[in-house]
Amino acid sequence: MATTGTMHLQRISASLAVLLALFSLLNSAKCDEQVPLILWTSEGVSTSTQAPPAAGHIVEQQQLSSYLEKALNEGAKNVVLFLQDKMSIEDFTMYGGAFGNKQDSVYPNLEVALMSSSSRLVLPAVSWPASNAVIGQLQDQLETSPLYMDPETLSQLRLNASSSALLVFRLPYGIGADLMSAKEILSGNDEVIGQVMSIMKSQSVPYTAIYTALRPSREAASLSMEAGQGGGRSLLQYRGGYRDRERERERQRKVKERPGVYGPVEFKEGDETCILLWAKSLSVKILRSGTWEDHDLTPSTFGEGVSPKLHGSSCDKTKARLVLNYENVLGHRSFKLMFAMSQRHYKVSARRWFTLDAVELEYDGTKATFNGSRHIYAPAEYSYRCESVTNFRWPLLTPRTSKDPSNQWRVSFEDFQIQGFNVSSSEFSYASDCAGFFSPGIWMGLITSLLMVLVLTYGLHMIMQLRTMDRFDDPKGPAISVPQTE
Amino acid sequence: MLLECMMNGHAILYTGVTLAFWSTILIVGICYTIFDLGFRFDVAWFLTETSPFMWASLGIGLAISLSVVGAAWGIYITGSSIIGGGVKAPRIKTKNLVSIIFCEAVAIYGIIMAIVISNMAERFTGTTPETIGARNYQAGYSMFGAGLTVGFSNLFCGICVGIVGSGAALADAQNASLFVKILIVEIFGSAIGLFGVIVAILQTSKVKMGD
Repeated sequence: MATTGTMHLQRISASLAVLLALFSLLNSAKCDEQVPLILWTSEGVSTSTQAPPAAGHIVEQQQLSSYLEKALNEGAKNVVLFLQDKMSIEDFTMYGGAFGNKQDSVYPNLEVALMSSSSRLVLPAVSWPASNAVIGQLQDQLETSPLYMDPETLSQLRLNASSSALLVFRLPYGIGADLMSAKEILSGNDEVIGQVMSIMKSQSVPYTAIYTALRPSREAASLSMEAGQGGGRSLLQYRGGYRDRERERERQRKVKERPGVYGPVEFKEGDETCILLWAKSLSVKILRSGTWEDHDLTPSTFGEGVSPKLHGSSCDKTKARLVLNYENVLGHRSFKLMFAMSQRHYKVSARRWFTLDAVELEYDGTKATFNGSRHIYAPAEYSYRCESVTNFRWPLLTPRTSKDPSNQWRVSFEDFQIQGFNVSSSEFSYASDCAGFFSPGIWMGLITSLLMVLVLTYGLHMIMQLRTMDRFDDPKGPAISVPQTE
Repeated sequence: MLLECMMNGHAILYTGVTLAFWSTILIVGICYTIFDLGFRFDVAWFLTETSPFMWASLGIGLAISLSVVGAAWGIYITGSSIIGGGVKAPRIKTKNLVSIIFCEAVAIYGIIMAIVISNMAERFTGTTPETIGARNYQAGYSMFGAGLTVGFSNLFCGICVGIVGSGAALADAQNASLFVKILIVEIFGSAIGLFGVIVAILQTSKVKMGD
């Protein structure tokens, strides 16, 4: 019996190994779903308790078969298998009164059975496709075919202690959408378990009972995948390498995109991002017959799924040009907004700086040019950011000449950030802000105050060195008397 | 003993001011260095963004105030000597008033220059460095320089004349023939104030503020 058993076992192991490989190939995404398995033996059957698996350990095919083999070899040959449609460890957590509310538990009979059994084995996590093979395994180990029954038919059956039997009770499970129904169904299943236990007890036949399921009831896999890559990260997760970080950042960025938060306009030369532009709003206004007509270019430039046309843009080591092409802006069929930047080395500061040389509006053959190099500059390795870049309110852009068509335009860029050189990984470098720490007014006040403080210091010095004349003091002489009368 | 030295008001004041000044500079410099923001330290930005009016006004203020400090100091030194010496030799008091007048002249130089410089400050329309224009910047800086020139020259001139005048009064009290010779020293001392005024006038000769 033992040798055939081992041979059987080897054959089972081999076939199941192949099956497992196939399963893992087909269900590679789902291979981290688990189903719990609870095994207990009736009273009076003493078996050596098997060491339960370590916490968090997922029991694989081989281990499961070894557990079952050991239990069956030492235990009874009558196996009662409660096979629920779906089960996960979460069912026990949610409905098992695990939070001190034992009175709400839907598993009273199961608990009683476990308490009263002589040996029990709880495997909270059996790797799912493998666990489907429980029936097959039991079948092979016991060399009987399973009998599908319910409590009524069981009461009519006469069991024999010496012969092996595999009694399978199929238990339903709720769809899962309605929590109340799941609780009721589990409660009903527990009732069935209770009835079966009492019948088995009345028959006083030693048995081994197994409570498991065909598939997990919860999609736990998606949670773990999300935890790793989507929003959060586990405490001990290793963030491996730059590429991982990059991918993660990109995914996080896409996940977090809310209205008002969008990526910058990127101009790619080949494969590498060359120019980056971001703004909260881009708007242009033209003075036509005494009134200002405005047009907001933001929705056609930025936003989720918006890709502006960048024909005519170019970039190289010293010059970068970003051209945004629009249609039907203020009555002009084609409208272009161009940013021309250049960078070079400046000897006095011994540093490379880039400047936004010109902002040009080109429409119907007319070109309106604004100079920006006076105020819009930053070191070449940084980006330039400014809260408000306009040509009318604290202007940073000025028309090229007094006769230029740009004198009739008003452009306004809010929360504007641009970078034309040294762009790496399609993200802005450190933003050199247009607003410094001290404004000119603050400096003027500081200088004047410093002057006052110096004057005060010197005055204090002089006053503090005044001494009362004590050359002619004579403590032993008569006191001075000032007569009242003449 | 160190504690006693520190209890001195002077020591506390000077250590306090020096400490505040140098620690500010040190901390600001360190921050610029650590954060690699040295590029934001821009003297040209400071000079072009601050208003020329500030510089002009500072010049005017310094012209008069420093001159008056010099004059006052000189008068206080000479005055106390004359009064002191005049107790025993009352004849000195009339002759030595000329030292006081020399000191006072310094203050007059200061106020005249202040009025002259302040007359050059005109309104201009322009808020950005380009619209303000180079001429206005030149005007602002010139006025500041002129005020500083006349102020410091008069300050030291006043002190000098004061100390010499004090010596003259006391020498006169001893021996009446000494006074005339010492007066020549005073005249030389007074000339240096005049130099300051001349240079300040030259500095502001080309000033033309306005549009």
